[in-house]
Formats: sequence, structure tokens, C-alpha cells
Amino acid sequence: MSCELLQKERTGVINPIFTCQPAGAQYASIGIRECIGIVHGGQGCVMFVRLLISQHLKESFEIASSSLHEDAAVFGACHRVEEGVDVLLMRYPDVKVIPIISTCSTEIIGDDIDGVVRKLNEELLPTKYPGREVHLIPIHTPSFVGSMVNGYDVAVRDFVKYFATKGEPNGKLNLITGWVNPGDVSALKHLLAEMEVDATVLFEIESFDSPTMPDGNHVSHGDTTIEDLQGTANAIGTLALNRYEGAKAAKYLEEKFAVPAVIGPTPVGIRNTDAFLARVKEMTGKPIPRSLVIERGIAIDALTDLVHMHLADKRVAIYANPDLAIALTEFCLDLEMKPLVVLLGDDNPFYEDDPRIKRLRENVDFPMEIITNADFWELEDRIKNRGLELDLILGHSKGRFISIDYNIPMVRVGFPTYDRAGIFRHPVVGYAGAIYLAEQMANAIFTDMEHKKNKEWILNVW
Amino acid sequence: MPYHEFEVSRCIPERKKHAVVKGPGETLADALPAGYLNTIPGSISERGCAYCGAKHVIGTPMKDVIHISHGPTGCTYDTWQTKRYISDNDNFQLKYTFATDMKEKHIVFGAEKILKQNMLEAFKAFPDIKRMTVYQTCASALIGDDIEAVAQEVMEELPGVDVFVCNSPGFRGPSQSGGHHTICIAWFENKVGTVEPEITSDYVINYVGEYNIQGDQEVMQDYFNTMGIQILSTFTGNGSYDGLRAMHKAHLNVLECARSSEYLCNELRVKYGIPRLDIDGFGFEPLGNSLRKIGLFFGIEDRAEKIIDEETARWKPELDWYKHRLQGKKVCLWPGGSKLWHWANVIHEEMGVDVVSVYTKFGHQGDMEKGIARVEEGALAIDDPNELEGLEAMYNLKPDIIFTGKRPGEVAKKIRVPYLNAHAYHNGPYKGFEGWVRFARDIYNGIYSPIHELAKIDISRDAISTEGGFKTQRMISDVNLPDEVKNDPSMRQYTGAYDSLARLRGKTYPVFERTGDKQVAVEMATAE
Repeated sequence: MSCELLQKERTGVINPIFTCQPAGAQYASIGIRECIGIVHGGQGCVMFVRLLISQHLKESFEIASSSLHEDAAVFGACHRVEEGVDVLLMRYPDVKVIPIISTCSTEIIGDDIDGVVRKLNEELLPTKYPGREVHLIPIHTPSFVGSMVNGYDVAVRDFVKYFATKGEPNGKLNLITGWVNPGDVSALKHLLAEMEVDATVLFEIESFDSPTMPDGNHVSHGDTTIEDLQGTANAIGTLALNRYEGAKAAKYLEEKFAVPAVIGPTPVGIRNTDAFLARVKEMTGKPIPRSLVIERGIAIDALTDLVHMHLADKRVAIYANPDLAIALTEFCLDLEMKPLVVLLGDDNPFYEDDPRIKRLRENVDFPMEIITNADFWELEDRIKNRGLELDLILGHSKGRFISIDYNIPMVRVGFPTYDRAGIFRHPVVGYAGAIYLAEQMANAIFTDMEHKKNKEWILNVW
Repeated sequence: MPYHEFEVSRCIPERKKHAVVKGPGETLADALPAGYLNTIPGSISERGCAYCGAKHVIGTPMKDVIHISHGPTGCTYDTWQTKRYISDNDNFQLKYTFATDMKEKHIVFGAEKILKQNMLEAFKAFPDIKRMTVYQTCASALIGDDIEAVAQEVMEELPGVDVFVCNSPGFRGPSQSGGHHTICIAWFENKVGTVEPEITSDYVINYVGEYNIQGDQEVMQDYFNTMGIQILSTFTGNGSYDGLRAMHKAHLNVLECARSSEYLCNELRVKYGIPRLDIDGFGFEPLGNSLRKIGLFFGIEDRAEKIIDEETARWKPELDWYKHRLQGKKVCLWPGGSKLWHWANVIHEEMGVDVVSVYTKFGHQGDMEKGIARVEEGALAIDDPNELEGLEAMYNLKPDIIFTGKRPGEVAKKIRVPYLNAHAYHNGPYKGFEGWVRFARDIYNGIYSPIHELAKIDISRDAISTEGGFKTQRMISDVNLPDEVKNDPSMRQYTGAYDSLARLRGKTYPVFERTGDKQVAVEMATAE
């Protein structure tokens, strides 16, 4: 009776939890101001990712394609990147940053995107665009390696690697959030503001929750600047909240510029938020203020109302990007819940050595399965054919039919969450996130009790 | 000069041939944009790939099939839960998708082995499903896996199982349209004629180019069943794999979306002599004429007329209610392909709106030909539009609503133009008489939503009304309507249910006696 780390035994994928690397690089790219990426591959690799992001955020973002066609697949398609960069620069006069994001097809045909970038830097840019600030950044994200999670990680590293420039110490903290929502960035910035810490946030995506303005000319984009990225080399330290989304960049800054890197924690739940603040305090020397003690107290108060009576022993399945999934698991344990199945949707070999997973394996005293390289069938098969019973599912929208078909209440969390309104707006990190998550879970369970007439009368006197 | 040059595309002169304005007195010969050419890289076009055209648009609506993509997971993930092609078997094809999860070592050493394992695993996980489609992707095409050979092996190992292979990698052609073509021909060559159907009617059709978006197919099926017509297969919405293997035994191919699947009808005509009849399920008049044409073909016009009379009596008063309120509203009709000509004229005739622009992402010149012929003078027609051109067009044309996809709809939202989902619909189905009213209702709700009025107010600058805490749609839509229209008791708003399909599922149909002569004719045709 303990926690096991398993790998999916089947070869194939029945209902994928993650998509492939280029999607992660694209999500990272839209966090940068004056940046439009070019995905070097078939048009679907961009069209569908833009659709996915727009479904999640209910916004549209600009990402271009090199539009690989049949001839290009045979004869090579570097010239289409050259043309694509030129067309983008001509038509978008404000664009300064163009990541060239590779895909499976262009990696297989062996297109040398680094060489293309060199050529453009030597020929097109100085002759046609003299004096214009343009940064071309090759990002290798073949779809047959890792998942969207690696793609995000690689892209953050490559942006940082390209821009970080040694200068005067800026006294700032680099905060690499990992793959989060606009609401999370707001919550994190709030915590740092309370501690009076000046930070460079990678990436500034609060603006993804963007307005419709009376003059009707708003285009959604991220807000991290080139200067922000350049300055990362001069920070007092880098705090990368997620081990698998952003740690590569933090380590790069440590190795190259001796900017100390701290990886984790992913601040989901009270305990991880406490640890986050402790890290910030360590790195900046700033005390944790009274205001956060109060804020934490409000969260403790809210959770106390829920844990013993309503959440204790509730059986949960969790799937999400790995750091989020693990942190949600930890939070559920603190809430006295029982995460029985945790699905990590890719084959990252480092899960085995993840200290959080080790700690779960050492301490969990009920049968918990952490399944790597997982797909949704790992969960559905357990429910349909192997007697798994659940009270709640925590995860993103792609798993919605398991909840629907097996009558299990579900709280939407992570990416993408297109089948519920406004999820991206709410934080899951920090004390505010802890309150939001616990209350969402409790309310989902309450609604389910009422639909199923399962002791629904209990709530008469709560 | 009929070509329209966008300000934002002056620097890419080849774009000039992709947009025209339909000028007064001009013929189609003057004013046809270039179409189906390679996309300009970096232009931020809205096109998809040939894999999605084959798998997502045409293959996956088949309802009783395991759909596997042979490649990395992304292609599969992307084309899963992003359309609304439902089915009457609890949406198996929407819920389940399969990827072989090709990794680096497979790229180097080949992935045929994992493909086979995948296929076996999938059949094992879903023992009741005996049919499978396998889709090539860019990756598996480039490494040259022989998918056909693997499929053959699996069919030999698992008796009773049938597998269809579609080799349409993402890079095949300028857009998703290449995939439509590829899968149509592949299906025809490999699967049509491999099952002999049971013929139960004197009147047997294939319903082709219909993808059951929000239930369109089920609406049309209801009419066909009411007329006593046997639908051998639907290609592919709500269609079954084995039904589609038996297409060769139909008397008539009834073709809806000619853009995506006329190829198949043409092949069926050449090889099996089955005539093709292009129809249109959208709009009272085109739909009525379509049912009439089918009735005429089989000599059962009376059955068509009966449906048309009943449905028109039921729904016309509701359509007219909207028509009076949508009069003169400007529409950008910006779908993917065939809807530009399916809808262009009929929304003007029957709903009163003016089409100020049409565009197509993956249509060919033939689609533009039909579309431009049907729009109003002065309309702007754009082939393979891109983000900036779309914005420029909206700023210049100031449409009251646009019909387009979800993501471009978000672009429109920001410049305060309401959008209606042209691909997946807002609250469809839109086919059928009732569906057409639902479409009108959705347009009305889009245009007259009080939110759009609020969106234009700048509270820092404009006068703010302090009188009245609400507005209804009718307070906006009826402002300038004459009283006799406002109070006309012969018209009413939509009165159907939220789910208009519920009443169709499980419905029973009249049984028509088969005539001897027809019977003989059918048997003769079968014997051939």
C-alpha cells in the first residue's frame, strides 16, 4: 500500500494528454513583446496551435508558418524561412523578435535553420533592413522528442540564451513561471509586490487577458521586453518555479553568468507557497510581511472550512503539465484527499529522480499510481475495466469525456481549459490559488452530490 | 481594374491577384481571383494542412472507426475535439483518437513495428470496433514507412478486421484541400465495392460531402427517410465504414460539399455510372429545390412537395420574423471553402443581409466563380486571406457580423465585430428548414446583442446614459421597424428546442411499398 511509479505499457497513445514540442515553443513565444514566431513546417503545426491557444484564452495570437509544401519536403525549404522572415518584417514594422521554430518534418529533411539565420543576418538584414533591430532565434523542437513541455522549456532557454547580456547588476530577481495562466502571473506578481521584490517575469502574460477597447484596435500580445530578457544575466538570482518548464534557462544563467539558480517549488497549495516565499526571502533578503501572514490566514481559514468534513478521503485522479500535476498532488494530500492516479503525459526520463516523486513514494500510505508516458486511456481503462472509483478529476479539458461518461465531477485546471469559462483568469498558485482550487473542488463535489442525490441534505446546515 | 490591392500587402505584389472587387457590369472573366496556389510564407495565412484535410475534415466523422495517425502525438492531439461532427452512436469518433507516438529512434530506424503494435493495441482496447483508418503524417511520409503493408499484415492476423490507409502528409499541397482530394480517391480505389449492401428501397442514394456538423446529416436524413429513400452511406458525417464500402450500389450520388468530395462522385460516375446530383441543404428555396430534384429523379416529387409544404408552413413565419430585422445588415462571409457559395445568395434572398465580402481559405477558383456570381456588386472576394488583410477589410467594410472560424472570430471581437462560427456553427444544426431559422436566430442574436453597443462606449470621453439598466435585443432591432411589421401576428421568433435533433432520433418512418418494375431494375443494376 504505497505510491508506485509506473510507465504506460502500451506503445501507442489513446487520447493524448500533451501535444508536441512546437506547441510549447509557440506558447512561450507569444509571451514576448514585438515577437512573431515562424514555425518551420506544415501549416497545420501553426493553425491548430493558434486555435488551441485561442480556445484556451479566448484571444487570437499571431504566429506565422513557413508553409511547407510538397516541393519543399523534397528539395529542402530553407528558402521559405528566408522569404517568411522578409514578409513578416515588411508587413509588421514593429516586430523585432522572430524565433524560427522547427518541427518534425523540417528536422527530418534536415533544414539548417541555424544556417538560415546566419545567412539572413549577413545578407537580408543589413541590406534591406539596415538600422532595424531584428533578432532571429533558431529553436529546435522536433515533434518526435519529448512533448509540449520540453518545447516550452527549450524555447525559454533559447530566448534567454540569445538575449542575456552581461552588464551592471540590476538587483532584480528572475522569476521563470513555467507554463501558467494570466491569473497565475498576477498572483505571483502580487506576492512579490507584497515582499517589495523587483522581478523580471518570464513571461509577462497577464496581458493575455486582454480588453476589448472602445476604439476597437486592440491586438493581444505578451509583454516581456527584449530589455527584460537581456537583463536576466544581471539578476541577483533566478527562481524557476517549474522543474520541467524553465529550469533549463535558469541553469544556463547560472553556468554562463553565475546567476544563482533555484528550481522550484511550484507554488500550488499553502506549503509550496510558503516555500516559494522562503526562497524569495533567501534570495533577496526581504522579509515576509505581515500582509502575507494575513493573506495566508484567510486561506487557512477557508481551507479549514472544507478539509475534515468535505474533502477528506476524496479519491482523485490528476493530470496536467508535470510540475502542476505533482504540485496538485501534494496540495490534495495536505487537504486530506487521496490522489489515486497521477498521469504524466510524456516519457521524460527524469521523473524517476524527481525529489517530489521520491518523497511521495516514500511517504504515501495508500495505493497511489504515478504513471509516466501516460495517455487518457490509462485513466479510462482503470475506471471502465479495472474497478477504479473516483470522487473527482483534476485536469484540463481534453479529458472531459471521462468525467462526462463516467459521471465523475471534474475541476478544470492547467492547459487547455476551453470547455469552461474564464479558467485562465484565476490563479492556482499562491494563497489565492489555494483558496480557488479548494473551493472549486468542494463546489464540484457539492454539485455532484445534488445531481446524484448522494447525501445532498448534508449541506442544509453547513 | 477588378483586382483589389490591400494596403498591408503592397509589399507582396503577388497577393494582388488574390483579391477582387465585383464591379458593376463585370463578368467573372474580369473578376476571378487566383486560387489554390502555394501560400506565401510568413503571411500569417489561415490555412491548415493536407493531413487535417484528410483526417480531420473527412476521415474522422466516420463514426464506427478507430482513427489512428502514424506520427508524433501533436497531429492527433490537434485534430481531436476541435470540430463538432457528432454521430448517433454516442460520438465515438469525437471521444477517441489514436497516435502511434513516433519518437526519435523510430525516425532513425523506422516505425512500422510500433505502427503494428499500435493497431493491435487499439483493437484490443475497443474489442467491439472492427474498422480502422490509418493516417500518414509528415513524419511517417518522410521516413517512408509502408503503412499499406502493415495494414495488410494486421488484417491477416485479425480476421474480421478491415483497415483503410490514407497517405496524405501535411505538406501535400497548398492547404487542407489536397487532403480532401487524396482521401476521396484513396477511399474510392481501396474500399468502394468491397461490401454488398442490402437494398431495402426502390430509391437508393449516397449522401456525399456532408459531415454532420451539429447534426446537419441527421436533419437531411430525416427528409430522405420520410421520402422513402434508402441512404446507403453518408460520406462521411455520421457515416459507417461498411456503408461507405457499399457506395457502388446507389442509384444516385447526392452531393452537398462539392469542394471536399466531388472527386469521389466523379469517380463513382465514371466507374459505376452513378449520376451526381449537387444539392444544397441550406436555405428554404435551395433546400426545397434540392428535395424536388431528388424527387424528380426517382419519380416521387409528391413526397418532396409534401415535406416542403409542411416544413415551410411550420418555419417560414419564423424565418420572416428575422428577415425583417436583418434587412441590409452587412455580412463578411468568410468560411473555409464551399459555404461561400452555399450561403452567398440565399442569405441575401431569405434573410435580407448584404454580403459585402467573401473569402476562402482553401477553396479553388471554381468556388470563387460560384461565390462571386452569387454576391452583391461591390463585394470584396479574397483568396487565402491573412491576418492583416482580414483586419483591413473589416476596418474598411465595417460589417455588422462576420461568419468565420473560432480564432479569426477572436480577432473580430477585438475590433468589436460580432462573429458567428461558420465551420462548427454557434447553435446549429443550420441545415434543414428549422436549421435555417436557427441560423437566422444566431445572426440576429449576434448582431443585436446589447454587448456590442456597450463595447463602443468610451466612459472617459462619451456621454453616459443613466437611464435604464438594460436593453433587450428587440429594443435595438425594432427601433426603425414600421408598426405593421413589429406587430404582425403572422411572424414569430424561433420556437424550436435547444436540441433540435432530439425529436429526430428514434423517429419511425412510413414504409412505402416497392414497385415491381423498380425492383427488377434494381436487381438488374445489382447484377451488373
